[in-house]
Amino acid sequence: MGSYLNNRLTHVWAFLTAITVASWWIGQSRGATFQLDAMVTLTVLLMASVKAQLVIQYFMEVRSAPRWLKQTAYGWNIGLLLLLTGVYWLG
Amino acid sequence: MSNTLESVVHKVDVREQPQVVGAFPGQPSMWFFIIGDLLIFGAYFIAYMAYRSQEPDVFLQSQQAMNQGVGAINTIVLLTSSLFVALGTEAVRAQKIRDSLRLFGLAMVFGALFPVLKIFEWLPKIEAGHTPGENLYLMFYYVMTGLHLFHVLLGLVILGFVMRNIKTAANPDVRFVETGAIYWHMVDLLWLVLFALFYLMR
Repeated sequence: MGSYLNNRLTHVWAFLTAITVASWWIGQSRGATFQLDAMVTLTVLLMASVKAQLVIQYFMEVRSAPRWLKQTAYGWNIGLLLLLTGVYWLG
Repeated sequence: MSNTLESVVHKVDVREQPQVVGAFPGQPSMWFFIIGDLLIFGAYFIAYMAYRSQEPDVFLQSQQAMNQGVGAINTIVLLTSSLFVALGTEAVRAQKIRDSLRLFGLAMVFGALFPVLKIFEWLPKIEAGHTPGENLYLMFYYVMTGLHLFHVLLGLVILGFVMRNIKTAANPDVRFVETGAIYWHMVDLLWLVLFALFYLMR
């Protein structure tokens, strides 16, 4: 079982969980009424994008895949982040 | 003759060591499906953001009624399930069949928690009259988390087939296991974005 605990995948999971808890902490209401907040939005979108990148690279094993698949998967993630923040910004 | 033998050895190498650069995790057809699904969900995500900017107050007000804690727990549940699938896939490659069955079993337990949590999240909202017709936020919320839930349920069925293959086949089909695994990770991946858009952003 130790080999599974001391495994790169488990380390990635621990990091993903830590980012999830941190983003929840940033995004919770704390009793205040929700208002537009670009800082919170950009932070949580960026955190989601970092998590998505790690899932694609390590869990989906795209880091060892052919270049076209890497470019497509990473491109989707980066493109989505740019478009989401762009639409938010313009709105 | 030696060329034929080499090509066979090469094929076996690629199949059993997907870590090799240039190797393909899972079947290419599954990747085409995944890329298509990512593009469709991506279009919905962007549409959500565009409609949100038209009436941010309505979206923010409805979003406030969401339970961010449940959203975070759902995220950790899926990430944990994904970890067990990834470790289980490694175990199959290493021919550790008993380990892989345990790991995929744990993945299914965590995966099955997700729909249960979703039902407990949806029911009180629907009972309180917060239905898809109330406003655009709730329409997007139910449609997109509903579509995602359908993917989770399909993923659980796929993981069941993967486990059956590991259990019954004399030599588990590594490529089949990987194919099921990447589908499950995509389900996890989509939820990461849904969590940020429907629960966390302002």
